[in-house]
Amino acid sequence: MARYITQRIIYMIITLFLIATATFFLMKLLPGTPFNMEDKLTEAQKAALYEQYGLNDPLPVQYANYIFGLVQGDMGISFQFDNRKVEDLIMDRIGPSAQLGFQSLVFGTVIGLILGLISAIKRNTAYDYSSNLMAILGKSIPSFVFAGLLQYYLAVKFGWFPVSFWDSFKHTILPTIANAMFTLAVTQRFLRTEMLEVLGSDYIVLARAKGLKNSVVTFKHGLRNALIPVITIMGPLVVSMMTGSLVIEKIFAIPGIGEQFVRSIQMNDYAMIMGTTMFFSILFVVVILIVDLLYVVVDPRIRLTGGKE
Amino acid sequence: MEKLLEVKDLTVSFDTYGGKVQAVRGVNFDLYKGETLAIVGESGSGKSVTTKALMGLIPSPPGNIEKGEILFDGKNLAKLSEKEMTKIRGKDISMIFQDPMTSLNPTMKIGNQIMEGLIKHQRMNRTDAKKRAIELLELVGIPNAQERIKQYPHQFSGGMRQRVVIAISLACNPKILIADEPTTALDVTIQAQILDLMKDLQKKTEASIIFITHDLGVVANVADRVAVMYAGKIVEIGTVDDIFYNPKHPYTWGLLGSMPTLDNTEEELVAIPGSPPDLINPPKGDAFAPRNPYALKIDLEQEPPMFKVSDTHYAATWLLHEHAPDVEPPESVKRRMKGFAKTGTAPGVDEKKGDES
Repeated sequence: MARYITQRIIYMIITLFLIATATFFLMKLLPGTPFNMEDKLTEAQKAALYEQYGLNDPLPVQYANYIFGLVQGDMGISFQFDNRKVEDLIMDRIGPSAQLGFQSLVFGTVIGLILGLISAIKRNTAYDYSSNLMAILGKSIPSFVFAGLLQYYLAVKFGWFPVSFWDSFKHTILPTIANAMFTLAVTQRFLRTEMLEVLGSDYIVLARAKGLKNSVVTFKHGLRNALIPVITIMGPLVVSMMTGSLVIEKIFAIPGIGEQFVRSIQMNDYAMIMGTTMFFSILFVVVILIVDLLYVVVDPRIRLTGGKE
Repeated sequence: MEKLLEVKDLTVSFDTYGGKVQAVRGVNFDLYKGETLAIVGESGSGKSVTTKALMGLIPSPPGNIEKGEILFDGKNLAKLSEKEMTKIRGKDISMIFQDPMTSLNPTMKIGNQIMEGLIKHQRMNRTDAKKRAIELLELVGIPNAQERIKQYPHQFSGGMRQRVVIAISLACNPKILIADEPTTALDVTIQAQILDLMKDLQKKTEASIIFITHDLGVVANVADRVAVMYAGKIVEIGTVDDIFYNPKHPYTWGLLGSMPTLDNTEEELVAIPGSPPDLINPPKGDAFAPRNPYALKIDLEQEPPMFKVSDTHYAATWLLHEHAPDVEPPESVKRRMKGFAKTGTAPGVDEKKGDES
C-alpha cells in the first residue's frame, strides 16, 4: 500500500510537470501582453516593465525560470493586483470556491443517490419517471442556463433568494443547486443502472432465498455493491464541478477562484493563469488518488500493489 | 413414505411485452421425506420457475402464480404473504444456485454470508453463529475453515464457492433443499465431488432434495425419482428405474436418445427435431406433438391426461390409451436402455456382455 502510494505520488508529480509545461507554452501563444491594455503607458515605460518582469528573455529562459520558481513553491507575482503574490491571491479567494464546491458535491451526490435508489427500487412507477425526468433535465440543461433560470424565477420573480453575491448561507443556495445539477443527474443515472443490475444478480436472489427481509437485501447486499462503480465517476464529477464553478462564480458574482481565473485569462495575467491552473491540477490529481484509495476500502476484490505482485 | 410437499395444478405466468408467457401450466407432484426428486427438461421447460414458485421467489411483476396449491407443513405456500414466506425461506426450504461464481455477495465475508441465516432463523448470537458457520464449512469439506470464514468469495475457487453455497443452504437444517443445476457451471471432476458431497449430506441431514438438471447422467447418479418437464408441464414421472429402463413418453425417449454415454462409441446421438413451442400461445393439444414422430391425430386436438403405468410411474401421452397403436421406443433408445442397465444405475454387470448390444 505504502509502495503504491509512493508510486502514485511520483506519477502525480510527472503529470503536474507536464501540465505546467503545456499550459505555459499555450499561454504564451495568446496574443498580447499583460500591459497592452494600459493605453497610458508609453512605449519606453512598457519596455521597462517587460525588462523588469523578464518578458524580454527568450521563451526557454522564461520557462526555466518559471519551473525553477514553481519547484521552490514560488508561483510568481500577479500583474493585475498590485504585484501581490499569486499564492496569496489564491488563498484569499479559496473560501467561497471551496464552500461552493463542497456544498454542490454533497448536495449533488446525496440527492442523486437518493433519487437513483428510489428509481431502482420503484422501477417503472411514477417515482421512477419523475426521478428520471429530473436527471435528464439536469444532464441536458447547461449549468449557466440553469443558473439563469434559477435567478429569474426563484430570485427575481418570487424573491425567495438573493440574485447574486456571496454573503449569507441564503446566497449560496442558488449557485449550489445550479452547480450540482449535473452531478446530481449523473449520480442518479449511474446508481439507478447499477442498482438494477445488482438487484437482478444471483447473490441477491440467494440473499432472498436465505429468508432475509427485503430491506436487508436491498441495503446490505444491494446498495454497497451498487455504490462501488459510482465511486469511479466521483473523480471526473469533482473535476466537472470545478470547471463548472468557473462559470457559476461569474454568473452569481461570487468572489472565488474561478471568477478570478476567468479575469486573469482576459487580462493576460501570466503568473495568475499558471498559478490557478496548477492549483486546479493539484486538486484534480489528489482527488483521483483519493478515489482510487476509496476503491480499496469498499471493494475487497481490489488490492493495490506497487509495481510487482 | 411421508409426504412432505404437495404441488397441485401449479400455474405460473409472466407478463412480457409480447404477451403472457405461460411458463408453468398445471404441474402436479409430491415430494416425500428423504428422497431426491430430479426435474429434467430442456431450457425454458419451466423447471426453474416451478421451484422458484416453491420458494416464493417469482419476481412479481412480471410473474404471477395464477392458480394451484403448494402444500407444505399444513400451509399453502402459494398464498402466503412475503413476510410469512421469509420465515420459511432459508429455514424449511433452501436453495442452491447454478453459478457459484455469481451467487455469493462479492463484498461480504463468507462467514457473514453463512451467519446471516442462522442469526435470522435460529436467533443465534454472533459467537454461536460463527461457531456453527465453521462447523458447516468443515461439513462441506472446506479445509482450514477457521481462517476461511474471514475471506471473501473471490478468494475461493468455483468448486469451493459451490461448497460455500451448499453450506449456506444447509445452515438451518432445511427440510427441503432445492438444487437448481448445481453442477452445470463446474468442470466434470468438481461436479462429481459436489454430487458426492450432496449425497453424503443428504444421508446426514435427511433432507429431501429437488434436483433440477438437464444432465441425465447426473440424474442417474443422484435421483430416486424423476419428473420430465416439457413446455411447462410434467410429461412423465417415475422412479429412476421407470424412466431409464421403461420410458413411455416419446419426449423421454428423445432425451435418452440424445444423451451421450461412455459406452456409446459407434452411434450418432439422436437429436429431437424442431424447437420447443412458444409459450405465449401454447399449441392446442399435446405441446410436444409437432416434434413427435409418433404423434397421433388426437395429439393435435386434445391434451393427453396422465396415464398410470404403475403405482410409481405416470406419463402424459395418448400412446398409453387402450385404443392407441402399440408403439415401441426407437431401436437406438432401446439399445441405450440396455446400455444404462450395464453402466448407469446397475453397476457391477459384466461390461463385456453389453458390448454387442
